[in-house]
Amino acid sequence: MAQLILKNVYKRYENKKKSAQDYAVKDFSLHCEHGEFIGILGPSGCGKTTTLRMIAGLEEITDGAIFIGDRKVNDLHPKDRGIGLAFEDYALYPPLNVYENIAFNLRAQNLPADEIDRRVREIAPLMKVETLLDMKPAGLSGGQKQRVNIARALVRRPQVLLLDEPLSHLDGKMRQVLRTEIKRIHNKIKCTTVLVTHDQMEAMSLADRIAIMKDGQLQQFGTPLEVYDNPVNLFVAGFIGEPPMNLMKVTISGEGERFYFEFPRQGIRVRVPKKYSPVVREGMEVILGVRPTDIFITEPSEDSEVSVDVFENLGDEKRVSIDVGEEDFLTLTTEDERRYTKGERIGLIFHEEKTHIFDPVTEERILGVQK
Amino acid sequence: MAHIALEKIEKTFGKVQALKGVDLEVRDKEFFVLFGPAGAGKTTILKTVAGIEFPERGLVRFDGEIVNLVEPSARNVSMVFENYALYPHMTVFDNIASPMRSPRYKESEETIREKVQKVADMMGIGHLMDRLPSQLSNGQRQRTALGRCLVRSPKVFLMDEPLAHLDAKLRHLMRTELKAMQAQFDTTTIYVTHDYTEAMSLGDRVGILNEGKIVQIGSGDAIYYTPANEFVAKLVGEPEINLMDAEFVTEEGELKVRLDEAPQLFPVPTDVAAVLRDNYDSVKKWRVGVRGTNIPHSFEPQLTSLEGVVYNLEPIGNKSILTVKVGERLYQSVAKNDMKAELDTRIYLEPDITHALFFNGDTGQFVTRHNQAELLQGR
Repeated sequence: MAQLILKNVYKRYENKKKSAQDYAVKDFSLHCEHGEFIGILGPSGCGKTTTLRMIAGLEEITDGAIFIGDRKVNDLHPKDRGIGLAFEDYALYPPLNVYENIAFNLRAQNLPADEIDRRVREIAPLMKVETLLDMKPAGLSGGQKQRVNIARALVRRPQVLLLDEPLSHLDGKMRQVLRTEIKRIHNKIKCTTVLVTHDQMEAMSLADRIAIMKDGQLQQFGTPLEVYDNPVNLFVAGFIGEPPMNLMKVTISGEGERFYFEFPRQGIRVRVPKKYSPVVREGMEVILGVRPTDIFITEPSEDSEVSVDVFENLGDEKRVSIDVGEEDFLTLTTEDERRYTKGERIGLIFHEEKTHIFDPVTEERILGVQK
Repeated sequence: MAHIALEKIEKTFGKVQALKGVDLEVRDKEFFVLFGPAGAGKTTILKTVAGIEFPERGLVRFDGEIVNLVEPSARNVSMVFENYALYPHMTVFDNIASPMRSPRYKESEETIREKVQKVADMMGIGHLMDRLPSQLSNGQRQRTALGRCLVRSPKVFLMDEPLAHLDAKLRHLMRTELKAMQAQFDTTTIYVTHDYTEAMSLGDRVGILNEGKIVQIGSGDAIYYTPANEFVAKLVGEPEINLMDAEFVTEEGELKVRLDEAPQLFPVPTDVAAVLRDNYDSVKKWRVGVRGTNIPHSFEPQLTSLEGVVYNLEPIGNKSILTVKVGERLYQSVAKNDMKAELDTRIYLEPDITHALFFNGDTGQFVTRHNQAELLQGR
């Protein structure tokens, strides 16, 4: 157990064409507490795996520093860093049974046989592989292989556990089961853990805090609810959440305390939450961001009157979509039993707190003024 | 224009019987969804309609006429596969026109121009004719691909998981797009998917397949509110429905249900009780299904509640999935996204029996639920 600190870490690959893309990771800083579960989340090519590999010591650091516990590990060999690694691809030793696979690294450390046995038997029930110890990897399912893989990483009692897309090979049901197991084991042993994933759902459900990356740079670092409710920029807003946030370019109209978002399609408008009154002005273009759960239906009024274009009953929730022009749908979800029909006239209100606006050029969030 | 009927279709691949006597009727201009898990036989049915697979037994009829021996190209069906690749070097116009320029359908340039324009306008891409696929949004690309299939005015439109290769976010948008365009198709369509939200949203009717057999045909509402059996109930809804063993007890003249051998007794709605009493002698085992959205929780014991511990709590954005361990059993319920709870703390669940589904545990078949008639009325 230890804290993990990354200070202004850069990774630059040589022999590439000179461009801003030279840096796979750029000025990346992160402070993970003792026993915390951190998710590094981003689309493919964002530098998340490179970051993990630098922590592990499998990639050299171009600039910056990495600390595990109170040791600077920049120049330490991977085996001396006190890390446990589990990749997406389990790569178990096929000729060895599960027991020997888990014991392998301990044997390499020349630990006494009874200590090895004690540790293997201690970790096996935690990962629910105690009944598989005599089996060869070829006989295991994908989920079982990944359990053995994680057991193998944990048996070394690492200070930091690194997981690289551990669930992406598994099918839906197995993924959910193992996700629960990983969370429960973490709760029990409280080993500082870094999970790299491209799946926002996985990061949200497992991590205490999520670091969202894009183009080698950290975009936002916060709890799942923070990044969900208060995305700092357009990228984070679009990346987090499913169904996705409605994001569309709108023009502001009105004045004083009464402003409207005007959508591309003529006549479709919704009141701007009051907190933005001081920061918007007539004619301003912004990107509106509002989640389907944060739009409410009212009686049509002069503030907003639109017609329903698509109604979907998906069982647990119902969805209403409005064609707001330029092929964009503004979608909202409702949970009551009320049904809507195509063409029905309704009014819309946006959640005061949870409606966001972004600068179309910088893509940064524009903050409102709370009164 | 086409009415399609499959009668007792059987199809075997090697030792595997892919279709075990499928009866299916797709009405003229209907948007029919075939829904089921991987390997259920969905695509095989689609290929049978297209004429790419030949059934060993059974008849395929188009408008009453047997077409078993009719060549695929003569059936006038149009098929969209999961990956509808557009020609990247061709404009929208040329992409849509491409089927009509094939040697078989060779048409005059004038007819082509006219038809392409008509289809493109219908799809709302009439103003994008000169663009290349790389200059289009995903929605526009999908419209182009669909336009390319519609331009021949096929009798039947077959779609095999057209959204499956998209990421989760895009899939939501594309599904809504498809739904919005649906009214314009005006062509009998069979749509294959393994995603229950697509099935519920798009299908005029949904046919559910399991291991080569149709297990239910009904509206999206019907498969959600009154799934034909436990298999369908588990397939529709997220997280998966909680199925519990049920035992009925009459207490002070009122029928009550015990769930998974817990001590608490939950009152059974009177309309349900009436149906259950009729079936009481013929059924040995009963099961009750309650969806995660119908199991509120509380940290204090309630009048009737199941006592357990928090096994897992996963915030996934707009909600949290709460897994509770009661005895040795795990139940999943849907909670608010800002719910906080330490793992293994005590918690109480109150399954809402007015939303519960009652199954014959011997056969897995659906028996009844509260408000059954009202829920399906006029839908």
